[in-house]
Amino acid sequence: MGNTLRIGSTMNCDVLIIGAGGAGLRCAAAIFEKKPGTRIIALTKVSHPQKSHTVTAQGGMAAVDPRDPLDKPIYHMFDTWKGSDCTADQNIIKKIIDASWEQIAWLENHGMHFSRNENGRLSKRTFGGMTLNFGESSAMRAVFEADRTGKGIMDTVWGEAMKGGISFLNQSIATELIFRGDRCIGAIVFMEKEGEFAAILSKATVFATGGNGQVFRITTNCRQNTGDGLAVALQEGLPIMDPEAVQFHPTGIVGPGILASETLRSVGGILRNKDMERFMERYAPKMKELAPRDMVSRAIETEIREGRGILSPDHHIQHVWIDLRHLPDYVHEEQIPEVTSFFKKFVAIDPRKELCPVRPSNHYQMGGLPTNEFGEVQKTPQELIHGLFAVGECAAASFHGFNRLGSNSILELITMGRFVGERVVEYLEEPLDALPSGAGDRSSSQFSRFMEAKGKDSLGRIRDAMQAVMTEKVSVFRAEKGLLEAIEALQELKDRADRASLSSSSYTMNQELIQRWELDNLLRISMIIAQSALRRKESRGGHFREDFPERKDDFNYHTLASMSEYGKVRFGKRAIDMSLFESRGEHYEKFDMIERRY
Amino acid sequence: MSRVYKITVKVKRFDPDTKKTWVEDYELEAGRILRFTDVFRKINNELDPSLAWNSSCEHGQCGSCAVRVNGKPLLACELLVENAINLFRTAVFTIEPLTIAPVVRDLIVDFDKAYERVNRAKPYLIDPSPIPEGESEYRISPRELERYVEATRCINCFCCAEACISSHKNFLGPNSLMASIVRLMDSREQAREERLELLYGEQGVYRCHTSMACSFVCPKEIDVAHFIALAKAGRFKAKGMK
Repeated sequence: MGNTLRIGSTMNCDVLIIGAGGAGLRCAAAIFEKKPGTRIIALTKVSHPQKSHTVTAQGGMAAVDPRDPLDKPIYHMFDTWKGSDCTADQNIIKKIIDASWEQIAWLENHGMHFSRNENGRLSKRTFGGMTLNFGESSAMRAVFEADRTGKGIMDTVWGEAMKGGISFLNQSIATELIFRGDRCIGAIVFMEKEGEFAAILSKATVFATGGNGQVFRITTNCRQNTGDGLAVALQEGLPIMDPEAVQFHPTGIVGPGILASETLRSVGGILRNKDMERFMERYAPKMKELAPRDMVSRAIETEIREGRGILSPDHHIQHVWIDLRHLPDYVHEEQIPEVTSFFKKFVAIDPRKELCPVRPSNHYQMGGLPTNEFGEVQKTPQELIHGLFAVGECAAASFHGFNRLGSNSILELITMGRFVGERVVEYLEEPLDALPSGAGDRSSSQFSRFMEAKGKDSLGRIRDAMQAVMTEKVSVFRAEKGLLEAIEALQELKDRADRASLSSSSYTMNQELIQRWELDNLLRISMIIAQSALRRKESRGGHFREDFPERKDDFNYHTLASMSEYGKVRFGKRAIDMSLFESRGEHYEKFDMIERRY
Repeated sequence: MSRVYKITVKVKRFDPDTKKTWVEDYELEAGRILRFTDVFRKINNELDPSLAWNSSCEHGQCGSCAVRVNGKPLLACELLVENAINLFRTAVFTIEPLTIAPVVRDLIVDFDKAYERVNRAKPYLIDPSPIPEGESEYRISPRELERYVEATRCINCFCCAEACISSHKNFLGPNSLMASIVRLMDSREQAREERLELLYGEQGVYRCHTSMACSFVCPKEIDVAHFIALAKAGRFKAKGMK
C-alpha cells in the first residue's frame, strides 16, 4: 500500500488540459486547428467528457448577428459592463464580443444542431439584461439549441477534440502542479480507477476545472463542481481573483436545485408570492422578471424573508412560485420542453396546470484564477506563471465582473477557449523538462494523511454543515456578523475534517478518498469566499452586504486573495480595465462607472 | 403531501481488490420525491460511506448514473421513490450496475470501454460540406432539422445498449448507430459512404432484432428504433436521403 502512493508512471505531452468540459475542449480544438498532431492529454474527474457540467447549460449563448438590423456589438458590450456592476475588464469585454459571432459560426460549421427559424438561419431569443440602444428595449441576442445549448456545445467540441486525436484520462484528478522555477511544467494526477499517482509533463498546462457550486446547499451545479482547480492553485501559493463574486440563479427548482432556466422568464413566466402578487413589478418596474439575476434573486429572498414565501412540505424549504400556466402549448412543447419536464420528473408537478416552486440557487462563480486576455495565469498583475493557463468558469479574465449576464458564460467558454488555444501553440517549441525531485511529495503526504486519520467523524456530516453555514451566512445576503461566524465555523470544520477517517483502505476507485480530497478543496474555497466577502465592505453585483448596501468607488478594483495556510488569507488588488472608456471612442461615456438600474 | 416510505435497497457490489461480488441490503426511510441518487447519498452519509456509485449533473442531462433497478436500465437521478414504488409495485429495490462495460467498483462501470463503440461511429462531422457562398453558416430548414433533431438529444447513458437483446459483442449498439445516423441525416456531412459502410457492416444495423427495447427504455424518450428502422429500410444513400 505504501508503494501506491509513489508516482507510478510519467507521461509526456505537449499540452495538458485539466478539465475536459466546454472550455477545455474548445481550447483543444483550437490547438489542433493551429497545429495538427499536437499531443494533448485532457484530464477529467467525471467518467467521460460528455458528463461535464457544460451539458447542463440550457438557454442560449449571446452573440450579435452581423445581419441583425437593430443589434450592435457595442450594445452587448454595454449590457455586459452594466451587468457586471462595472467590474468586468473592458479589454476582455471587447475581445470576446468582437469574436462572438465568428465563434457561433464555428460551432455551427462543426455540426452543432442550433434551433432554426423559417429561413433556415439560427433562431434567437432574449434574456435578462439583454438590451438594444443602451437599455432601451429587449434585444433578441441569444442563439440556442432548444433548451440544451450546453450539450450542443459539449458534443461539438468533444467531437472535434476526438477528431484531432486527443487522449482523455477520464476519472482522474490533478492534485498538484509541477514547477521549474516560475514555469509550470505539468501536474501530478491521481487516476481513480487505477488508484495510482502519475506525473504528466507538458509544455503548457491549461486549467479548465469549472466551478465550485458544491460549497452551497442549494446549487444548480453538478456533484463534481467542488472548486478543485482553485484549491490546488491556492496550495501552490497562487491568488484567486474576486472569490466573493458568486452568482445565485433566481430560479432553482426547489429540492434538487436544478436550474429552471432564464428561458422560463423570457418566454413569459411570471414570478408570484404566496398572495399571487407579481412582485417583480415592485423591484424592477421596467424589466420585471427579465431584470438581471442578482436583482431577481434578492427580490425573491426578500419576499421570503418578509413572510410572503411558501413552505415546501417535502423539502422544508421556503420558495416562491413561477407561473407558466398561461403559456400556450406550443411554448411548453417547442421552447421549454426539457425545463418543463424537469418539474414533472423531479418534483412531480405539471407546469401547464400547476404553479412551480422556485428559489435562488447557487449557480456560478464570476471569480477565478486571474488571467490576462490570452488566458495566461498571473502570479501578480505584473507577473505571469510561464506555461500555465486558465479558461472557463475557473478563470477570471474578467468578462463577468461581479455579476454574469445569462447566456454570457458559454459564450466565454468558446471564445476564450479559442484564444487560449491559439496562445498555447506559441509554447510548443519549448523542450519538455524532466521531472524535478520532490514533485508529488505534497500529494502523497496529503493522501497518506487522509488514509491514516483515525477520528470518528463523517465526511457527509462535515460537508452538510459547511454547505449549511455557507448558504445561511455567505450567499444572497451577507453581513459582518454572519461572515465572522462563518469563518469561525469553517475553521472548526477544517479541524474536524482533518480528523475524519475513511472506512476503506483501498486506493482503487475509492470514492470516499476522492470525497475527502474534495472536502478539503471545498473548505478552502469556502474560507476564501467568506474572508473576501468580509473585506469588501460594499455591495456589488452578486456580492450583497446588508450592512453596506451601496456600491462604493473605493472598492473599484478586483480582489486578489491567496491562502497558503488555511484561514490565513492575504489580499491584493488588480485594477479594472477601462480601456473602452479611456479610448474616448463613440459612446465611451456608457463605459464609465455607471449606475446599475433596470 | 409529504410522505415517507420505508424502503429496502439491495445493491450488487464488487470489490476490485478481492474480485469479490456480493449483494448488500440497506434499509432506510425516504421521502416521496427523493431521487435514487439522493437515496445513494443517504446510504453514504448514514449507513455505508464505502458504497461507490456514479453521477454528475443529477438531472438527466449527462447519463452518468445509469443503473439497473429491478432489472430495468434507467437513470437513478430521474427515479423518485414514490414513482418507483408505483412502477415496480414494491418497496424492495435491487440495484445493479450496467453490463455493457466492466464494473470498476460496485455500481461504477468503465465508461471508457462503453464509449469505444460510440467513438467508432465518429460522433462528429467527418467531412463537412463547403459553406454556401456569401454565408458564414449553413442553412437548415426547421422541417429538415425536425427529421433528426430528436436523435441529437442522446446523452450516451447506454440504457438502450443495456436493454438491447442483440449481443453486445457483435453489435455496435443502438446509441452508437444513432450517432452515425444523425450525421447521415445532417446535410452538412459529406462522408456518407464511410458512414454507410459502418451502418451496413459486420456490426451494423442488421444485427438489430427490432425488439424496440431501446425506444422503450430511453430516458430521453427518443424513438431510437425509428432511426435504426430508417437505416434498415435503406433510406440513406451515398448521395443524400431519399
